[in-house]
Amino acid sequence: MPDSMKSSFRRVAWISRITFLEAIRQRFFAFLIVLSAALVISSVSFRFMDFGHGELKFVADFGFGGIFFFGSILALVMTAQMFFAEIENRTALTLLAKPVGRFEFLVGKFAGVWAVLGVFIFTLCTLLGLVLWGRHQELVQIAEASGRVPPDLSVGGIFAYTLLQWLRLGVIAAMVLAVSSVARSFLFAVVVGAMTVLAGQLQWIAQEALLRDKELGVLHQAFLWLITRLIPNLQQFNIGDALTLDVTSVQVGAIGAASLSGGVYIIVLMCIAGLAFRRREI
Amino acid sequence: MSTSLAISVQGLTKDFRVGLAGHKLRAVDNLNLEIPRGQVYGLLGPNGCGKSTTLKIILGLVAPTAGKISILGFPSATREARSRTGFLPEAPYFHKFLTGRELVNYYARLSGVEETKLKSAVDAALELTAMTEAGNRTIGTYSKGMLQRIGLAQAIVHEPELVILDEPTAGVDPVGAAAIGKMILEMRAQGRTIVLCSHLLGQVEQVCDRVAIMDKGRLVLEGRVDEVLARRDRQVISASHLTDAACAAAEAALIANGAKDIVITHPRRSLDELFRELVKGSRDA
Repeated sequence: MPDSMKSSFRRVAWISRITFLEAIRQRFFAFLIVLSAALVISSVSFRFMDFGHGELKFVADFGFGGIFFFGSILALVMTAQMFFAEIENRTALTLLAKPVGRFEFLVGKFAGVWAVLGVFIFTLCTLLGLVLWGRHQELVQIAEASGRVPPDLSVGGIFAYTLLQWLRLGVIAAMVLAVSSVARSFLFAVVVGAMTVLAGQLQWIAQEALLRDKELGVLHQAFLWLITRLIPNLQQFNIGDALTLDVTSVQVGAIGAASLSGGVYIIVLMCIAGLAFRRREI
Repeated sequence: MSTSLAISVQGLTKDFRVGLAGHKLRAVDNLNLEIPRGQVYGLLGPNGCGKSTTLKIILGLVAPTAGKISILGFPSATREARSRTGFLPEAPYFHKFLTGRELVNYYARLSGVEETKLKSAVDAALELTAMTEAGNRTIGTYSKGMLQRIGLAQAIVHEPELVILDEPTAGVDPVGAAAIGKMILEMRAQGRTIVLCSHLLGQVEQVCDRVAIMDKGRLVLEGRVDEVLARRDRQVISASHLTDAACAAAEAALIANGAKDIVITHPRRSLDELFRELVKGSRDA
């Protein structure tokens, strides 16, 4: 590896390290992780409801839903906050007056925030995994005693879901960073970022319409095609219950395709952010 | 690259677009500056005259509308130019959770200081800015003067040839301001070029070799401090133990020789000098 590239990696690593240390100290992060953990643990209370084999699915959906929702908010707010903190506090002035490239700055910010999102998602998914595993053990005993078929639970599936969710939060962080690089205020970045996340959640509608309605006009089709290419489909990452409780229902290659798509979107969005930030006046 | 100039600015113009209609606001208007190496150069002017914009353009933080800028012979905004430049912005803000030493270490790494020289570079920067003792405290506990000094430490940790200081004494008491002035002179003694943007004209007069005064985005005066301040049409005679009779005789002799507008008075020291004399020994640490 050339020396210039090594130096570049070192600078990015240091910016991400400081971003991580700053983000992890935020009260907002502590608040969301405690709230989400409380939500996941509270799902244990569903054991008192007799859902039979559907109980685990309910607990999983509840837990994954909470992690998905609060994780999205965290990715949205934390990314915009970490970016604008540097601009508004003018630490970006001292940073970018050093031999630090603007793209290095953005990648450092992204990596730092993504690491914090990793702490969030791995902590909560581990907690949810423990809750599911504990209840699963009890349900297996009950099923064996009553001669019923015990429910499935895949620990590997929970891990795969965790990685997919981390990737999804990475895509959201990259989307918000792309918006922030042109936004003039934190509020604008959060609002527009939230809209793009919502658009990503609903992108599948355009995708389905494109596949289903063959009688659409050329312009309509072109519009839908453009939407499906420009906006990442965030729904493709939401296969937590299938991965965890019924891994056989997951299509072969779905995880790989989602991972590849997530990775490509992160790279493309970071490049867009880099291009927009290149000429920004600090 | 060898050049006698630390900074060369030619025909620099900067327009900002304001409002929805995108009206043009000219912040810097056809500015030409040549800042020699190894000097302390004062960039002065009222608020909004374009000083900070000029500095930001020189540092590559803002793009010029027109003009050419080079730093130490390299085009500004390039990595080569920035690795040879240190910058302290006005009212600097740093991550409060870091200690002073961690902050300077962080900026040293970003500046590309080699791993083997890192500790000595950080120690030297902290020592020059008198922050060695306070270096192990978190920045959140620092006073304004200490923030400026740690800001100066991060600016010089990679031993830049050019140091740009934007209002380094803003909000700092006279003792702290004098300490920063002393550090500026120490940096000059080390052969560095310092560009100083300040409203403390007394200090600028003391530490700067040359000054440029800007107004409404334009350069209105540039030259050596002693040249631009000298009033060639007047002289000052200073003496001690002068009696009233001697004073009258001197005045009469001057009039007899054609002198006009004679003023005989006691010289005044500045309030800044008096303050520093009275609070001597007090340190902002």
